[in-house]
Order: sequence, then C-alpha cells, then structure tokens
Amino acid sequence: MKRVLIVDDAATVRMYHRGILESGGFAVEEALNGIEALEKALEANYDLLLVDINMPRLDGFGFLKEMRRQEIPQPPAIMVSTEAAARDETAAYRAGANCYLVKPVRPSQLLAHARLMLGEAGR
Amino acid sequence: MNPLLVQFLSESRDFSQDIGQKLLQMEDAPSDQGLINELFRLVHTLKGNSGLFTFPEMTRVLHAGEDLLGMVRDGRIAYSRELADRLLNAIDFVMELCADIESTERIDASRAKDAARMTESLRGLMPAVECEAPASARINAAAATAEEMPTLAELPGATREELLRHCRAGEALNWISYAPVHDCFFQGDDPFFCARQTPGLLWGGARPSEALPSLAELDTYRCVLEFHLVTSASREELDEHFRYVTEQVRIVAVNPQWLELTESNHADPHCIAGRSVIANAPAQTAPSSGAGEAWRERTAAINAIFAAQQQILMLDDHPDWRAGRIRAVGAVLVNLARSAGDQVAASEIQAALTECLSTGRNSLLLLWLETSKAHLIASLSGASAPLSTNPAATRSNGSEEAPPASEVGPAQSTPGDGIKFGRRAEDSSAGPRNLKVDQAKIDRLMNLIGELVVSKNALPYLAQRAETQFGVRELSREIKGEYSVINRIADEMQDAIMQVRMMTVSSIFQRFPRLVRDISRKLGKEVQLVLEDEQTEADKNIIESLADPLIHIVRNSLDHGLETPEIRRARGKPETGTLTIRAAQQADRVVIEIIDDGKGIDPAVIKQKAYEKGLIDESTLERIDDREAINLIFAAGLSTAAVISDLSGRGVGMDVVRSAVEKINGTVVIHSELGMGTTIRISLPLSMAVTQVMIVESDGQLFGIPMDNVVETVRVPKRELRKIKQSLAAVLRGRIVPLKSLNTMLGISATPLANSDDELAVLLVQAGGEILGLLVDGFRETIGLIQKPLSGFLSGLSAYSGSALMGDGSVLMILNIREIV
Repeated sequence: MKRVLIVDDAATVRMYHRGILESGGFAVEEALNGIEALEKALEANYDLLLVDINMPRLDGFGFLKEMRRQEIPQPPAIMVSTEAAARDETAAYRAGANCYLVKPVRPSQLLAHARLMLGEAGR
Repeated sequence: MNPLLVQFLSESRDFSQDIGQKLLQMEDAPSDQGLINELFRLVHTLKGNSGLFTFPEMTRVLHAGEDLLGMVRDGRIAYSRELADRLLNAIDFVMELCADIESTERIDASRAKDAARMTESLRGLMPAVECEAPASARINAAAATAEEMPTLAELPGATREELLRHCRAGEALNWISYAPVHDCFFQGDDPFFCARQTPGLLWGGARPSEALPSLAELDTYRCVLEFHLVTSASREELDEHFRYVTEQVRIVAVNPQWLELTESNHADPHCIAGRSVIANAPAQTAPSSGAGEAWRERTAAINAIFAAQQQILMLDDHPDWRAGRIRAVGAVLVNLARSAGDQVAASEIQAALTECLSTGRNSLLLLWLETSKAHLIASLSGASAPLSTNPAATRSNGSEEAPPASEVGPAQSTPGDGIKFGRRAEDSSAGPRNLKVDQAKIDRLMNLIGELVVSKNALPYLAQRAETQFGVRELSREIKGEYSVINRIADEMQDAIMQVRMMTVSSIFQRFPRLVRDISRKLGKEVQLVLEDEQTEADKNIIESLADPLIHIVRNSLDHGLETPEIRRARGKPETGTLTIRAAQQADRVVIEIIDDGKGIDPAVIKQKAYEKGLIDESTLERIDDREAINLIFAAGLSTAAVISDLSGRGVGMDVVRSAVEKINGTVVIHSELGMGTTIRISLPLSMAVTQVMIVESDGQLFGIPMDNVVETVRVPKRELRKIKQSLAAVLRGRIVPLKSLNTMLGISATPLANSDDELAVLLVQAGGEILGLLVDGFRETIGLIQKPLSGFLSGLSAYSGSALMGDGSVLMILNIREIV
C-alpha cells in the first residue's frame, strides 16, 4: 500500500485530507509541522508528501528544502495552500514541491493528483 | 454531527482562545515579530479550516483579520489598541458562529449582516489603497454591488475558474437571480424546470429564500426557493426565456473581476443544491463523482503536473537542495510513465535524470519533456485502455523495469553546505506533547478506580470470615497478604488518576487579562494585572469551581477597590493600580490570593451599612472589631458601593463567593487596610476526589461524616446529660456542648441506644465555627472513599452531600453536616 505523509498543523484539514486519501486506498500518516515531518520522513520512506505552507516551528517551504537536501529517496510532494497567487506557486516549486493545489482541495482533484504522482495505473 | 465538523469546532475554539491570548500579549510587546507571526498563522489556519465548509460569514471575517494581521506583520500598519479591540471582537464573533454551528450545524442567515459589519470594521483599519483591492469588484458594477450577488463570491473555486475561462474566451456571462413568487405553483409555473431549461446554463444553485419551517409545518404548495444561475446566453435569449416571470428575475452582466475575487470560500456543492444542504463538509456531501467528473479531474491533473515539472526544471536558481528537487521531479515523471504503463519512457527519464544530476543542468530532462510529453499525456488520458495495447510499450529497447520512484538513486552531486538535520532552534518553541482526552473518559476511569478501591475493601471481610467462620487461619493470612498488594496498587492508581486530573490554575488565570482589560477600560481606570505562579496545580473540579468566585472578586476589586487615576494621583499613589492574582501550594491546599492596592475597605462604613440593613444589632455594632467588621462583607445582602454599577455592587458578590468556596471545603479570608488595599485569600483542598469519612451507626443504618467536620468522639454517661430549656447538652472539657440526636435530625423516630455501661456515643462535629454533639448509636472505622454526588431525584436531598459504594456492596450516605445542623 502506498504511504502518504500529510503535513499540516490544522487537525481539521488533516482529517479532511486523510479521509479523501484513505478512501483512495492509501495509507496515511500525519505530521503537525515541518520538524515532525522531517523526523518521520527520515525514519520511513513515504511515497508522497502532502504539505501545508503555514505551520509553526518549520513551515512547508523550510521542510521541503530540508527534505530535498537529504541524500535519501525523494518522494513527490504536493503543496497545498490557501493562496492562489502565482508568486506562492513559484516559491513552492523553488522549495521542492512538485505541484501546487489551492485549498480547499476537491476530493476527486486530490485523488487524481495522488494516483498519478504515485504511479498508479488508470482508475 | 459529522466528525469533521466536530473536529473543526473543537479546533476553532482552541485557536480562538489562543488568538485572544496572543492579542493581549501583543499589547505588552507590540513589536514582537515572533508573536505577530504566530498570530497571523493562527488566524490564517482558522480561515483555511473554515474554507473547508460553507461558512462564508466566518471565512469572510477571518480573511479580513488575516489581511489586517498580514499588514501588521509586514510593518505596513502599526499595532494599536483599536486594532486589538476590533480583532478581539472579530474573534468573539467567530466563537459565536461556532456556537451557532454547534447547535444547528449552520450559521443563521441573520449573521451575514454582522459579518459584513465586522469585516468592514477590520478593513477600515487598512490603508485606503489596500481597501480598494477587495472592493475593486464593485467599481464596475453599475447595477449590482458584490453584496447584491452573494452567490458569485460563494461559488466553488473550480466552478469560478471554469466560468473565468469562459470569460477569457470572450464569452459574455450573465448572472440570474430568479425568486419565484410563493404561490407560483398555482399560476402554472414550474420554477425548477424553468431554471433547468435556462439557455447556455453553466452553473446553477438553489437555496431557500427564507428560513425553512420544520417539516411538520412545511407547506409543500408554497415555493420558498430562490435560484441563482450563471449562463452564457445573451440578454435577449434570457428575456425571451423568462418572459412570463420577468418581475421575478434579475439579470446582471457578469464582470470577470467578480470571479477573480479571491474570497477563499468555496466548498464543493452539488450543482442544484440548497445552501443549507451543503453546509457540511465536502467530504461528506461529496459530489456524486460521476465518471465524467473523475475523468475531467484526471485530465486536469495530468496537464497541471506536467506543467509544474516543466516549470521546476526551468527554475534558474541553484540552491543547495537543487539535486533533491530534480530527483523529486524525476520521481514524478517516472511515476507518470508508470501510470501510463510506459516502462520505456520510465527508463528514458531515469537516464536523463542521471545525466542531469551529474552535469548539474536540467536541459536533458527538459528536452525529454518537450519531445515525449505529448505522447505520454496521450497514453495517460487513454490509460483506461488495456496496457498491452499501449503503443508506447512496443517502443524501443525493452529494458528492465524501471526502479520504483522511491528508489531513484542517491544524488551524485555534492549536497553542498546544507544544514544536517538535527535538533535546532525551532525545537525550543516546541509545544507540549500533551494528549487531549475527553473528560468523560477520565471520569469513567475515575469511577472504575473508585469501585476498585471500594471492592478491595471486601478482602479484609473475607479474610475475617475465612478465619472466624471457616477456621482456616492460613488462608486468612494469605488473603490479607494479597490484600496489601492490591491495596498498594489501588492507592497508586488512585494517585495516578489524581495526577491526570490535576490542572494548572493558568486555565482560569488566562481569562483575567481580557476581563481586567475590558472592565478597567469601561471604568476609566488604569490597572496593571500581575499573575503569579500560574503553574500551581489542583484537581480539575477544584479549579473549575474556583473560576466564578475569582471572577466575582476580581470584578469587585476593579469596581470598588481600585481608584480612578485622578483619585490615585491625589492620594499620592501611582496612577496605575496593581491587581495581583497569586497562586501557591501550601501542604495539601492550594491558596489563591487576590491583592489590590486600591482604597481598602473602611470598617466603619461596613459596620454602618450592616447595621442599617439589619444584619447586625446595636450591641454587635459596638462590640465587633475592625477585622470582624471587614468580614461582614461576606454577609448576604450587603452592598457598600454608593452607586450600583452594572459590574458588581448588587451586594450578591461576596456572600456568593463564600458559599461557593465553602462548598468545596475551602475557606476565604479577607484582609484590608484603609487606603492601602485589600487582600483576599482563598484556601482550597488540592483534591476533592478522596474524602476521609467517619462511619457512624444510627438506628441500624450507617452514615458517613466527612472527617473535616469531625472534632472528636466521646462517650457520655446518660446521667451526665443536661437539659437546658428544650435542648440537650453536656459539659465536655469544661464547656457546654449542645447535643442533638442524629435520628431526630434525619426524621428517624428511634431513640439513641446506649451501650452496656449506659453511655451514649457522641460525635463532636464542627459546622460554621460552632461545635455540636451528635448522638449516635455507635462509631465505626474511618475510611477514604470517592464521593459521588447524588443525582436525579435524590439530588434534592440537601442533608446528604453524596454517596459512596462500600466494600460489601452497600451504599453509604454521606451527611452534609452544615446543612443538617
């Protein structure tokens, strides 16, 4: 089963994303901020990261940069943000995200992205 | 209620509280960048959460708050009291909305106005130019302002994007509001059909035009729906379509800017669906994801992901995490190829990636994308076709299966001077690793442990029976041995659960900054609040029952104790008064002191007032000293303030405080020095979970009496009883002690039994400072037990403070001495 790490400080958002991903047959784990996410990502190889931007301790940009510095397998990362601005999108790519979704993410949209980025065959 | 909504409400409450606190902290440290960042993040996250649901009122207010804080953070506007006030109001409003949602799962339509006002008040603090931005949508709106077309801003984001695409393609869109008259069904209209048949329909929504009555009262022949539609049809076509109901229809040409308006609320509604129906989370009301929609999402995702990888590869910066970034892109592309079942493409990507990593240039991967992207997109879009027929699979060299994405080899370029991961500065701000547990679970555990504590008490009985009844002394000893082990474990468990229930007083102290700030401002007083030793702990119940008395006292101090700046100056005191609230643990009690440096209490005034109100008589007036006089403020019905304000001063404050404190076995003492200030000291037990109780017997029944009330037990020979007037008394240790029979007090007709020496058992108890002898039939042991309050029908019995389960399964009633004496 493909494993997805949700990195978000808002429990509500985590629960929402978890519900969607689990309905798509993925195993989900959660981290509450960048530091915790990094700790987890170094422990285990996740197949996909779903990362919020604004978080305490270490934000999503900081987490992705640090993640991409590591000499470990690099899983794809989806960044989710409330801002639709192109400036933020570019910043996400610079930091190491592979795609950028604007909250609230539609269930079908998130599943479509996750399946493709995880290399799953058509529906 | 749907669990996501429950989670949302719980988190919102926590966040709101946090935001309130941080705002107050900001007042003392307006330039603390860390604090403002934190504040911004909290509001931002809360806004993001609310966006998952259709709560536009909440989202709108939070959005304005977020924008405002963003400006403070960026130094574009300065933090001010005014700003804090408005934000605090906004947060209060959000809390109210949460309460609405909690009770009805939706926000009442009447809130929209408040939300608009609140938003306006927040935006009002922004510089004029910034204000324009959100309002820009209105500039070109000749006929309709954004307020008049609420649904447009509330459209789901994806729908708005799609509509915007139509606009950009040069189509002129019209927005239609169709409010059928209530008796339209009797005029032969079919509004739903009519709305559905609107030419060029791109989006449609329906919602109740007024609050829906309950199902029982619903008149199905009365139309209370209102339709909102967006269409690409021309005005003429629409006029023609709605020609029979022209007066019920409003048509407005859509300005594309309205669609760009980034009010970030967009749930995921069904197309024709009432707003109240979709006021839940999209996850639960997920659109019937038909194959068409999933296919659209998939196609959109394919294009978006490819575009993003291309954009990443074209980035011209060279950070030290570039290699990792490229490897992630490689992983994505390999996975896309695998999604398409195209192993050849996967290995081509792998090769290009390796090349890119060694040269430090992305050109090869970019080149691959340019040449092969279209092919891959085509096979991905047709991926539902059997894989074997995929033309890509037949292409070229038939290499081994590409390694899974997560095994893309390690970077070949040097990792640079990247920080090695480890503990660092951010860690210091780590939140406590606490577990949030529902109170009910703790209570259940507590009850179970209570039962365990009691059940284990059955073992000594058993041991005794083994010995006396069955004559097996060996077994009896073994049971006793087991008992002592279980006893120790039970004690430790009890202690452990007590620790879990311990809370710091900070949970009530944290209300005070806001309270003091609001009240002192209302009264025109300058007050500095000092909170000391907030980390002092006590049992949750104690802490909770402390909250109300403390608020009373603080209000009193602010209202009656501390003077206005003018008076303070005249008296040679600093203009700012100080109110200190201090907690401390002393032995097994927690002591809270509320100290103000205000005008103090004038004993003469109190005496006079008490006399006027008939609380004391003339002789008492002469006799009592200042200390006693001051303590008169705890008497019911005494108010000394010249003017009764709306804050306190109705004379119900202090006696309520005393009874509340005494109810949990606490004491309250006041000390005041005229002109210097007042100190009120509340002393409470650390825990009220375990009560030491003495068991007495009367008329064959057992009763428990809290040890706090028990002074001593004595045996009094019957002949030494004295009858003074109507009541019994005895001389004990040189003083006359009135005696009462417990039976009489409980309405039991039996007379107290004497023992073989013709002595009566007398339990000396104290209640309210007086000592009284209770005549009972006999004394039993003293035990520690967990008292349960009487519930239901029995809760009206004031003579008992609670009940407890005994080791033999019987129920022990615990007397409330203060009430029965």
